[in-house]
Amino acid sequence: MNRYPRWPIHFALLLAGFVMLVPFYWVLKTSVSGENIYAYPPSILPARANLFYYVDVWYAIPFARYFLNSVAVSAIAVAGNVVFNAMAGYALSHGFRGKNVVLVLFLSCMMVPFQATIIPAYLITGKLGLLDSWLGLALPQCSTIICIFVFKASFDAVPRSLIDAARIDGLSEWRIIWHIMMPLSKAAIATNVILAFIWSWNNFLWPLIMTRSADMQTLPLGLARFLSYQEDTTGALYAFCVMVLAPGLLLFLLAQKEFIRGLTSGATKG
Amino acid sequence: MKRRSLVKAALAGASTLAAPAYLRAQSTRKLSILTWNIADQQELFKTEFADFKAANPGVEIEWLDKKGPDLPAFYQTQIVAGTPPDIVDLQGAIWVDYAAKGGLVDLTPYLQKEPDVAKRFNADYLNGWVYQGKTYLLPFYVAKTLLYYNKTMFKEAGLAGPPQSFGELLGFAEKMAKAEKTGFLTLNFDWLYWPLFKMNGVELLSPDGKKAAFNTPPAIDALAQLAKATASGGINKISWTGRWVEPNGAFASGTVGMLHAHSASYFFVKGQGPWINDQTLGAAQVPGFWSTPTNHGFAISKGSKNPDLAWSFIKYMTSDKCASAFFKTRSVLTANTVADTEGLATLEKTEPLAASVLRTQTEHTDKLTGNWPLPYDAELKDAFWPEIQNAALGRKDAKTALSDAERVVNRLLARKA
Amino acid sequence: MATVIDTARTRAKGVVRHKTRRALLFWCFLAPSLLIFLLYRIIPVVWNLVLSFQYWSPLKAAEPAGFDHYEDLLYDEVFWQALWNTLIVIASAPLGIAVALGLALLVNADIRGRDVYRTIIFLSYPLMTVAVAIIWRWMFDERVGLINYTARLLDLVDKPIPFLNSFTWALPSVIVANTWQILGFYMIILLTGLQNIPHELHEAAAIDGAGAVHRFRRITLPLLRPSLFLAFVIGMLNSITSFDLVYVMTGGGPGRATEILVTYIYKLGFVQTKFDDAAAVTVVFFALLLATTWAANRLAGGNVGAAETE
Repeated sequence: MNRYPRWPIHFALLLAGFVMLVPFYWVLKTSVSGENIYAYPPSILPARANLFYYVDVWYAIPFARYFLNSVAVSAIAVAGNVVFNAMAGYALSHGFRGKNVVLVLFLSCMMVPFQATIIPAYLITGKLGLLDSWLGLALPQCSTIICIFVFKASFDAVPRSLIDAARIDGLSEWRIIWHIMMPLSKAAIATNVILAFIWSWNNFLWPLIMTRSADMQTLPLGLARFLSYQEDTTGALYAFCVMVLAPGLLLFLLAQKEFIRGLTSGATKG
Repeated sequence: MKRRSLVKAALAGASTLAAPAYLRAQSTRKLSILTWNIADQQELFKTEFADFKAANPGVEIEWLDKKGPDLPAFYQTQIVAGTPPDIVDLQGAIWVDYAAKGGLVDLTPYLQKEPDVAKRFNADYLNGWVYQGKTYLLPFYVAKTLLYYNKTMFKEAGLAGPPQSFGELLGFAEKMAKAEKTGFLTLNFDWLYWPLFKMNGVELLSPDGKKAAFNTPPAIDALAQLAKATASGGINKISWTGRWVEPNGAFASGTVGMLHAHSASYFFVKGQGPWINDQTLGAAQVPGFWSTPTNHGFAISKGSKNPDLAWSFIKYMTSDKCASAFFKTRSVLTANTVADTEGLATLEKTEPLAASVLRTQTEHTDKLTGNWPLPYDAELKDAFWPEIQNAALGRKDAKTALSDAERVVNRLLARKA
Repeated sequence: MATVIDTARTRAKGVVRHKTRRALLFWCFLAPSLLIFLLYRIIPVVWNLVLSFQYWSPLKAAEPAGFDHYEDLLYDEVFWQALWNTLIVIASAPLGIAVALGLALLVNADIRGRDVYRTIIFLSYPLMTVAVAIIWRWMFDERVGLINYTARLLDLVDKPIPFLNSFTWALPSVIVANTWQILGFYMIILLTGLQNIPHELHEAAAIDGAGAVHRFRRITLPLLRPSLFLAFVIGMLNSITSFDLVYVMTGGGPGRATEILVTYIYKLGFVQTKFDDAAAVTVVFFALLLATTWAANRLAGGNVGAAETE
């Protein structure tokens, strides 16, 4: 029924894609050739492409251990985000006394630059006895305000009638969240998972300050090895960055289908 | 050598006798050491730590390494939390800030008790770690500025050898600049660019350190010339805005005639520039033989629970044996004269180009500049440097830039008085 | 008569009790998140607030300072420059959001290969900021960078543009790099919001003869309001979260051209060891962001821009 020409869309998206890809291609190219990016003129194709840098990354640092730490921390952060944010988002999509205070509070919590919170956050984590631990690394990121609002927006879109019907049927609020709201908010869950994962996976400053023992380091901290002045080749650096990028990308690819619309059955929406 | 091993054996013997009683009193003593970006020395340090532990049974060593920009954040958080690493490797002038605030242990009493230790080091480099008459660090390794030059580009421009004066330097730079090629690049962090001013007779501060002394006609003239050369392409603009990867990368790409950097740049540049060998790269002193050192030293944190043990550790790490090993694996000058002379002699035969670079580090150590033992060095840099950028990049003329800088610096110094 | 009123009263009481019980439950739902924010955001803000009225350094005891630090800020040229730059960064957010909105709509359309497009646009976001910073530094390089090289090839300019060496071009260049990286983030938020719009609304409107543009203005845009508000807040917070990019790409230079409040806070605290001054700047920055959000919330219609779907 909606007949509109497809090709302008493709054209626009191809252009956008090109712009987005060019820098990324250069990262990829340098990671397989290790050439000096300041060479002139810039070469489009990699010279002497090899996977040496990727191998180098794997052996130069305890990659497996760092990877495990990052996975553990991110898993805790993602789980925390999905559960806590859904709860908070649900609460905020209802009216109750003090709701606006909470909203304002949440918004203002976002306005704090992390750099200014490093020292008190460290002291607090120390008091909790969580230094140098997975939970300590994950805890500050177990709930994020943006993701709470994503859930809230999604829950706001669910018709009241549905929730009221569920309440009349005797479902507890808890069950309403998990059995009614969440299945209707797949996109919001996917967003939470992706964002929480990326933020905890790429987080550099907090693990830097917080971990002391060598086997609790997370993956981005391994970056330091490649920025030491004797081995500061952008080849190894970029190979490392591409390897760190891979899991987040994979997760996004898996979550893609949640963004495909139109699969909602008639009884649930509208 | 023989006396040393005898002493060591005696010490080891004594410590083994003392150990059982000590061990009964305390299970383990732990030393934590924080180093600045030398994680690649893992193998060497593993053996050295093992040796130290063998000589001091019951000691555990925790080794932490952080990259330069991250180390201060980490270290200061640890200080606030009350768990600072016992030993910390510091670069540049940040130590003065910590020393002035009482964060570092004064090593002078230790040095007075054991005069042999001070004798190991090049006196000029050791003096770099003195603040208000007290020594706070032992030299770990040194790197000061030199002039690298691209012999191929020099030949193409018809230039015989490195410049002998400021004027020649700018003139050569001009000659080599065309299209994407530029003639001169300098690093700018940690005051590394300062020799360019010092060779024109410019002083930063008055001898008592209370007033700015750089707003003088020679300084204005030098700065104006630098700005002119930057505008015409003789001096690469990255000199004024780059940090590490860009300036070194640019020189390594073979499009810059001269690089004014410290010895640490050599290895990065060599890694990125396949054209580099002893026929194509030269290492020389800048005109006037002035250089800015950006050295590393070992300090002991005030909050350390084992300062005496920490002292024996840094004494050990800077001993002839360890310093020689470090020189060999890192090809860097250690300021330990025995290690450096031996190391250089070997390096001459194996890697003459690296040796020529490192040889510049042993020369003219009486002409070190760009290091002012001031606790507010970072603030001073922050006040001065932006005006230099303003002038060099053509935003302000040299006269205005320097008077503005003088105003800000004097205000800063007045507050600190 | 009495019994009806009685039953009504007891039922009313029951409803009230039920309501308060539910409200209590909501507070319990909020508790874990509130606790985390209390520990890691609220207490640190209070710490900064208290610290901004003291003279303190990691090795000395605290002494009261009154408003000294704030007074210093008034005369601090760097602070005002950083503030100005931060405002510019915040003001540039709507542009990025507009572009992302366009992309989100395109990517959401019923075309072949939209998964691929979506992934490509998103690719930049999970890439580590160090890599982004170094690559864009190179791209903007005056002599050997890609942008100048292409411009010269296509004969667009006769002299190379000194992007990161120029006092006028440095901040826009950083903003471009930042927008490139954050586009994926905006897109994901907007896509999620687009999912909340029932397909049937569009279908019904189309049947009624409404054109695409009309549908966009009347259906999509209003229902997208919560996501747009969120995107704007994210864009505003970008002036905080872009610390890594600015710090690695230009370090705040040349001069102070790219210094933003968050890099200044970091430098004051961890490079110059003046945590008390850094705390004062933090408090001012916090107030600024709060004011902007409050204004934005008002503009978006209050209640955090929540759309009414009744």
